[in-house]
Amino acid sequence: MDIELIKKEAESRIESSSSLDSLEELRFKYLGRKGVLAELTGSIPSLPVAQRADFGRQVNALKEDLSKLIEAKRVSLSGPLVKKSSRGSAEIDLPGLAQGLGQLHPISQVTGQICEIFMRMGFAVIEGPEIETEYNNFTGLNIPLEHPSRDAFDTFYLNLKSPLLLRSHTSPVQIRAMKKNKPPLAAVVPGRVYRPDATDVSHSCMFHQIEGFVVDENICFSDLKGVLEVFAKAVFGSDIKMRFRPHFFPFTEPSAEVDISCIICKGKGCSVCGRKGWLEILGSGMIHPNVFRNVGYDPKKYTGFAFGMGVERIAMLKYGIDDIRLFFENDLRFLKQF
Amino acid sequence: MKVTYNWLKDFVQLKIAPGRLAEKLTMAGLEVVSLKELAGDFIFEIEITSNRPDWLSVIGIAREVAAITAAKLELPKLPSLSPVRAAGLGEFTIEIEDKKDCPLYTAKIIKNVKIAPSPEWLRKRLELVGCRSVNNVVDITNYVLFEYGQPLHTFDLDALRPSGIIIRRGKDQERITTIDAEERILDRDILAIADKYAPVAVAGVMGGVTTQVSNNTRNVLLEAAIFDPVLIRRGRQKLGLQSEAAYRFERGLNHKIVEAVSLRATSLILELAGGEYVLNRSCGSIKVKNNSVLLDVKEVGRILGANISASETKTILSNLGFNMRAKTKGKFLVHVPAFRQDITSAIDLIEELARIHGYEKIMVSLPALRPKPILETARDRTCLVKNILVGLGLSEVITHSLVSSQLLSDCGISIKGTIAIKNPLSKEQQILRPTLLPSLVRCLAYNLNQKQDYIAIFETAKVFTLSNAGTPQEELFLGIVICGEKSLLLTKGLTKEESGPRQLKGITESLFNRLDIQGYSFIGEGIDKAAILLGQEKIGAITALDKEVLLRLDIKNKEVFCLELCLEKVLSAMHKDRKFSPLPKYPGIERDISIIVKEDVSIREVLAAVKEIGAGYLAELKISDSYQGKQIPQGHRSLTLSCFYRLGDRTLTEAEINPLHAQVSAKLKERFGASMR
Repeated sequence: MDIELIKKEAESRIESSSSLDSLEELRFKYLGRKGVLAELTGSIPSLPVAQRADFGRQVNALKEDLSKLIEAKRVSLSGPLVKKSSRGSAEIDLPGLAQGLGQLHPISQVTGQICEIFMRMGFAVIEGPEIETEYNNFTGLNIPLEHPSRDAFDTFYLNLKSPLLLRSHTSPVQIRAMKKNKPPLAAVVPGRVYRPDATDVSHSCMFHQIEGFVVDENICFSDLKGVLEVFAKAVFGSDIKMRFRPHFFPFTEPSAEVDISCIICKGKGCSVCGRKGWLEILGSGMIHPNVFRNVGYDPKKYTGFAFGMGVERIAMLKYGIDDIRLFFENDLRFLKQF
Repeated sequence: MKVTYNWLKDFVQLKIAPGRLAEKLTMAGLEVVSLKELAGDFIFEIEITSNRPDWLSVIGIAREVAAITAAKLELPKLPSLSPVRAAGLGEFTIEIEDKKDCPLYTAKIIKNVKIAPSPEWLRKRLELVGCRSVNNVVDITNYVLFEYGQPLHTFDLDALRPSGIIIRRGKDQERITTIDAEERILDRDILAIADKYAPVAVAGVMGGVTTQVSNNTRNVLLEAAIFDPVLIRRGRQKLGLQSEAAYRFERGLNHKIVEAVSLRATSLILELAGGEYVLNRSCGSIKVKNNSVLLDVKEVGRILGANISASETKTILSNLGFNMRAKTKGKFLVHVPAFRQDITSAIDLIEELARIHGYEKIMVSLPALRPKPILETARDRTCLVKNILVGLGLSEVITHSLVSSQLLSDCGISIKGTIAIKNPLSKEQQILRPTLLPSLVRCLAYNLNQKQDYIAIFETAKVFTLSNAGTPQEELFLGIVICGEKSLLLTKGLTKEESGPRQLKGITESLFNRLDIQGYSFIGEGIDKAAILLGQEKIGAITALDKEVLLRLDIKNKEVFCLELCLEKVLSAMHKDRKFSPLPKYPGIERDISIIVKEDVSIREVLAAVKEIGAGYLAELKISDSYQGKQIPQGHRSLTLSCFYRLGDRTLTEAEINPLHAQVSAKLKERFGASMR
């Protein structure tokens, strides 16, 4: 058989092939185990000895040519990366097949986001126990046991001989962390806290707080403002306005409450912000020298700031949730929205 | 605390509109929570922080207004009054049982007053700040209370039995009816004002009904005193009472103005109710510490990160009523006025400077944090666990740590060894939960009521128990509950998967494999209950809930499956440094065995037997199918074991494996009575 002839015929048939199926048929016809080229190779022993080597080379060259040609045609017929589907285009209108992913509770999600913002600034995330001593919850934090400044911290006591309680804020972790470590310190502390408040749309006897504090030489009030501005803008958007309002907390001085311009009415005054145009989001201040003395730090050497916020409040503002009880009712129709 | 615009004008010239003043006050730390226009005046409702009892008075707020609006404070001149002598009062005595309880008690007696309604201006001012008008004498004491912040009380002198006042602790079970017509029972922790026979007032809190000034009163005794703040606080807490007077006594008063305030009230009584001022008696003495604080200007910058000049420092502090003189360069000795007992150290002054200078003027900076290397924490690992569970299709819930004892007993859990709350607000918050499951099951019941047909939820939270030694312990646990049919839309159509313990086992295995936990096992403990072991230690359990328990929790015709795990133990068993193991170089040989065994044959033991025989050759062993039903005899189970044989150093041959695999079959027949399929 004439190799040239076979080559021409094969080339033209490959070129005119119009589908991957017909191309595959051609590949089978020429390059298959019982194909045309295999037949040619099989005929070699019947050739005169002198022609065998040359014929063999020609067959091999043809095999290579045709393989390349078929491959090139296959690429041109296929188009980029897309499988030629036998299914109709309506298939995609059917629902996707279930993968069944669950979801984190919105409080976990918001806690995670807030911690992440502070971690990016170099804060560590630490935790502490929920059962606390009066010292860590009050006295160490410069809150006298019998003083009106304690009224803001109604507390659940445990029915035990020793006066232990359920922490009413995450601040006792400040005392624990400072007693255990020397400065510099920069940490945030998320966790559950407890207060005997009657349950209503904005109160729950259990809720979540995030505490944060920084202690080092040369930490000042302007740093507190900067860190909290980064935080508030990361959570509520960079176009919010902020204000720091003097306030009193026994464990910080100077103390400040931090407001952001109302994210609902943009500061004009609405029912969410009580017509004030501002929303209080957290309490903060420079750590009181007495707190440093209580943990054995020298207040002449070290300064620091601390802040604390309610996670439920932040989540309610962020998502527009109007009832704190929804968080603990755990209705799946609620949870699946986040 | 409510104060009106016009009342403030008595003491400070206001050149600022009410709205603007409210903003300024808020930004100085006196948060104006509401501003209302009423009857030609403006009422400011201000939240006063507990460190500033001096702001619980119109004069105190006026002083602040003067400082922030650069206006002058004009304090009223006090009248000079002396009692005219009257007969029959020479015997009148004041006796203080313990000067610690009451450092100073003053009494002024005014005779022949005419009790009448108050004049219009007095009634209106009191009503605007939320105080009910009673009569001229009582109104005057309230008016002066608001004006100066010093509580006063008037007694009907003729109702006091002769001849004098005793300030003493209450006696156990001693009774007094207070002016709100409630009978109060006193004890040794409550301070009383008494006459010779009985208490006539709860000191610093509320007067008694028998001695109150009424329309028939002719002669009055005006009390102005100082009581121990802690004692007043304890007493009013014990009695469950709150009053304007107690609120101020608890917070601490300016000891220096007692006499002046008493004179101010006396002169008003004389003016509005007539009568003669006939006696002035006092017992005890005032001890006002003359505090001085050294203020270093450098310290102001160190704390605030902002410089406040020496001249601004002087202006701010002197406007707030402080006297100061320069000590050395950049240092001032600041004398604290008597009305500022909250100022005891330099940091208190720095706050005053920052407040009046304006927080908004302090620039914004970021600290140069010097972080320590942050190692992975338990929280990071807990987050990982939560994310894996979410990936496995579970929804996270957060339920209350406090539960009712009813819920525990409904779930068959003993309250022995649990920690109770001493002061619960309701029965729902009595006990710190020793397990997460009851709350989770209740949450599940709630969602079943909302017509959810498949529920798979989890929570990670602390559980609380008492150790044998009686110390409370808290441990991080994981709880999962599942119920119902999970609908999966697959290519072959809708498939429903009934919940069961094996889902929970699968979740646990996926979790543990992902966390690289080694050496765990599941041991069946009777029907529908399995322990999860880590080594030899039980760290959790998988259970099917009892029908009776479910009924008590209002769950009908459903099966509920639970898992509870001590997460702390799981997290500490996590392999922290994974090591790479080289990929196998040589191919292996896979052989399946399908057997039928009785259903009570321990599958764990079957697997262990196969492993024992295959030791050295068996690289993987798993159950690739299990089936009970048609074609399988009653009480039996069909199992397909996939054995994968492989060596690390050479290619295995069929000739090597065939006899080994035959040995496996023989062992299963012999030991477990298995028949081959």
